[in-house]
Amino acid sequence: MLLVIDVKALLENIKAAPYEEIVVAAPHTGTVTFAGIETGAHVTGITGAFGEKPGTLLAKLTRENNDKPLFANAKGVVGVVHRELEGRFVEAGTPLVVIRHYLSKDEVIANILQKVLYLFCAPERAKYYFIPSIDKKVKASGPRSVTVKPGLELFIVSRMKREKPLLYEGPEGIIYAVYFQHDQNVDQGAPLVGVCPADQTDLIQDVVNRVRTDWEEKE
Amino acid sequence: MSTKKHKVLVANRGEIAIRIIQACVSLGLDFVCVYTRADEASGHLALARSLGGPNAAYRVSSYHDANEILAVADHAGATAVHPGYGFFAEDFRFARRVAERERSLIFIGPSWRIIRSLGDKINTKRLARSLSIPTVPGSDRPVYDELEAEEIAETLFAFQAEQGISNSVVLVKASAGGGGMGIEEIYDIEQFKTVYRRIRNYAKRQFHDEGVLIEQRIFDFNHLEVQIVADRTGTGIVHFGTRNCTIQSTGRQKRVEIAPGFRPQEVDYAFDAEKLMEDIVGYSLAMAREVGYDNVGTWEWIVSPTGQPFLMEVNTRIQVENGVSAAISRVRGQGGVNIIAEQIRLGLGEPMGYDQSNITFDGVGIEYRIIAEDPANRFTPWVGRIDQFLAPTLPYASLHTHIPMDEPYEIPTEYDPNLALAIVWGKDLAEAKKRGVDYLDELTLSGADGTGTELKSNVRFLRDKTSTILQF
Repeated sequence: MLLVIDVKALLENIKAAPYEEIVVAAPHTGTVTFAGIETGAHVTGITGAFGEKPGTLLAKLTRENNDKPLFANAKGVVGVVHRELEGRFVEAGTPLVVIRHYLSKDEVIANILQKVLYLFCAPERAKYYFIPSIDKKVKASGPRSVTVKPGLELFIVSRMKREKPLLYEGPEGIIYAVYFQHDQNVDQGAPLVGVCPADQTDLIQDVVNRVRTDWEEKE
Repeated sequence: MSTKKHKVLVANRGEIAIRIIQACVSLGLDFVCVYTRADEASGHLALARSLGGPNAAYRVSSYHDANEILAVADHAGATAVHPGYGFFAEDFRFARRVAERERSLIFIGPSWRIIRSLGDKINTKRLARSLSIPTVPGSDRPVYDELEAEEIAETLFAFQAEQGISNSVVLVKASAGGGGMGIEEIYDIEQFKTVYRRIRNYAKRQFHDEGVLIEQRIFDFNHLEVQIVADRTGTGIVHFGTRNCTIQSTGRQKRVEIAPGFRPQEVDYAFDAEKLMEDIVGYSLAMAREVGYDNVGTWEWIVSPTGQPFLMEVNTRIQVENGVSAAISRVRGQGGVNIIAEQIRLGLGEPMGYDQSNITFDGVGIEYRIIAEDPANRFTPWVGRIDQFLAPTLPYASLHTHIPMDEPYEIPTEYDPNLALAIVWGKDLAEAKKRGVDYLDELTLSGADGTGTELKSNVRFLRDKTSTILQF
């Protein structure tokens, strides 16, 4: 069935609040030393063709004589710096900095494509892995080299060290987007992959073109 | 330093964290615990805060992160680390780091050299063979080469054929695995490649180690254990009897543990069960003395239907089932033995203070592992919300749980859905079994998952299996 969506309306919706607030929290325990960042400062995220250039240094956490630098993982403007924590030992999960991140064209495209693609979702909270043969293909040639059809053994579901296979159910098509990360838990109902059925290719191309033309990225 | 001045960091979660905290309190020791975001509702956190105040618990990113544990230990002023079971309990590198860092701490467990030599199934097998202690036939080191693994499997099939075993079975196990995880059977060599690769990939994903063991499967076996307790001198070594852990899930995970391991006074066996228990205790003590064992540990045995024992592995840590041994043990005639408290006391350097002649055993103890799982569906873990959990209070029973009794509790998917350990005692096997069934019948356990499906638990399975306890 051909899906029809109003790309213009979706874009207008996103334009009404074209950013997200990213809370940078302590990933683990340690003593906090903030870098010279202030509220209102512009920060950059990870860049480079291979994501090899870290973002702006926000703070460092020290534990066991090791410094762990905390970089901005997205570009934006610093909204809050929790200066009161300077020099204090913090627990994992303590909020340190808030960044207002303005959405890029690629993020807007990904956002809208979630409404166009067929989303194959996690049936339960667990870790998900592609089966070895598909994993190899994804690593070698990217997810769009993989065609899926109903009944295909696509994932290994790992929960509490127990594993079981998960068969794909949905329309035949290519995997257009992968939404899960290696060794990370995926919540029940969260999308694992976005599949592009053959009859939706034109619509997807239209989304990409419209966003590239109409979206103006903010610094 | 006086033992009383120590502060113990509890590097674990759930019911074992609770029992360690309680043991510290009984010994008059300070403690501090850690918890993760997923465990904010766990009873171990509530108990730590209620007994130790708001600073008695630190949130960490993971129980697996050594830097987290040690940073908290330093900040909280801890002088010792209790690893519980799982996580760092059998990690000799962690134990070594704890003991040898600039601000050294006491690792409440065997010293790292002992964990290194016995914590590895392969080293244990080699050491046992050097002492003429029988071990399960199979590979004596992790195998990383498929052809070599296949050759070992072929040898084991040939050996079983020579022994006249009609339905030969070989086990393929992840070397770094444990607790029944990462084990599959093969029935002929044609199946080998597929199963080997599956286990190897599983081991790589779960344990980051592709090593695989190939072993002979012993059929209709009983799984026995010997509880060893030793002080830091390496000479004060005693045993707290045997346990029988034969009742397991389909994935070979223990579900019911009984102390003692056999009960020849009440059950007929095809072999001399009393002598067999003496033999495995003797072998275990000999091995413990040989390595200078210096804390608590468990020697795990497989016993064949003809009464032949094979050493399987040594667990260089406290076991889940320590409480069932404690339930039947008396020191100088006194009950109330707490093996975790003994582990802490001896780990901090106190001498044993008694010897084997002071230890006696009385009656039969049964421990039930109450777990949210579906026994009818290969014991698949059940995840959801526990709405009500009520257990009877009886003089002959104890319950260890981290599930709050007064409010709903969401089982975190990050950890096994273990709900509680129930231990009952009886003056003999018949009484213990009857009390066990009565106790399980009085449990109230209800809840639902996100789709409204009713809670699944193994209570019925435990109840049904009680009638088969210690039969062989």
